Amino acid sequence: MVAGRIDARLQELDIDLPDAPAPAANYVPFVISGNLVFVAGQIPFTGGEIKHKGKVGTDYSVAEGKDIARICALNIIAQVKAACGGDLDRVVRCVKLGGFVNCADDFTEHPEVVNGASDLMVEVFGDAGRHARFAVGSNALPRGVPVEVDAVFEIS
Amino acid sequence: MGGRVAERLRELGLELPPQHPPAGNYVAYVVSGRQIWVSGVGPTWGRELRGAGKIGREVGFDDGLAAARLTALNLLAHANHALDGDLDRIRRCVKVFGLVNAIPGYADAHLVVDAASGLLADVLGDQGRHARSVTVAPSLPMNITVELDAVFEFA
Repeated sequence: MVAGRIDARLQELDIDLPDAPAPAANYVPFVISGNLVFVAGQIPFTGGEIKHKGKVGTDYSVAEGKDIARICALNIIAQVKAACGGDLDRVVRCVKLGGFVNCADDFTEHPEVVNGASDLMVEVFGDAGRHARFAVGSNALPRGVPVEVDAVFEIS
Repeated sequence: MGGRVAERLRELGLELPPQHPPAGNYVAYVVSGRQIWVSGVGPTWGRELRGAGKIGREVGFDDGLAAARLTALNLLAHANHALDGDLDRIRRCVKVFGLVNAIPGYADAHLVVDAASGLLADVLGDQGRHARSVTVAPSLPMNITVELDAVFEFA
């Protein structure tokens, strides 16, 4: 396949997309409905392994949490690429991100953490990467990960 | 802002809060097809935070209701902006996600978010009746008491 515009952009940013992770339970990694791709919650898989477990604000700094959110976002892009049959140029828009931050109950800097995912979308997709978003604190996430991010994309 | 929904807001004595920039690297809403996806919003009036604190610790149930209503008005304010001031174009509030900042074990989060759901139905009529999920959040950005996001369908 000829590398597309977004593939070139990924190369420019020196980003190697991970293999799209398999789901952890009885669900699918994404569903396409009309022009929308609904991506299941992604956790920080790196090289097929979860290397980050714990809470942001206690086990990880906000800056580290932001880096972990970025890893979740790389996995989201990998899923979207699979949904697009390998052609990320079909992405019309990153519509929505949902960010879950595993943290102590008095933590308030969720937006700064989830920015790690948001920043990556804008770096890779430009204006089409600008999305709606929510961020929320959680006191436990699957497999003890510090951050989970899900997404909705519009594709052509 | 004119129209049926604007008139209904006036009747109810409600005013849409002024807009303010999002708290991170995201936008207030995205329009995709006939849907408006509104980002998570809180009980703010412009830049002023009017509903902070955890229910069961710093604030009580009634504070939660007030926060939920103001948060719902912020959802409408973003939809209004997306529709160039014509809320009559809303065909349906499709889905609301309600997050309530409360102490562990708090069992009345659904009643808190009912204040938001009720407001949407009061303002938009049957078109304001939506699917919904609600959860207690152990923490929320800036310690806001309630966060809501929503999907609207428009004509």
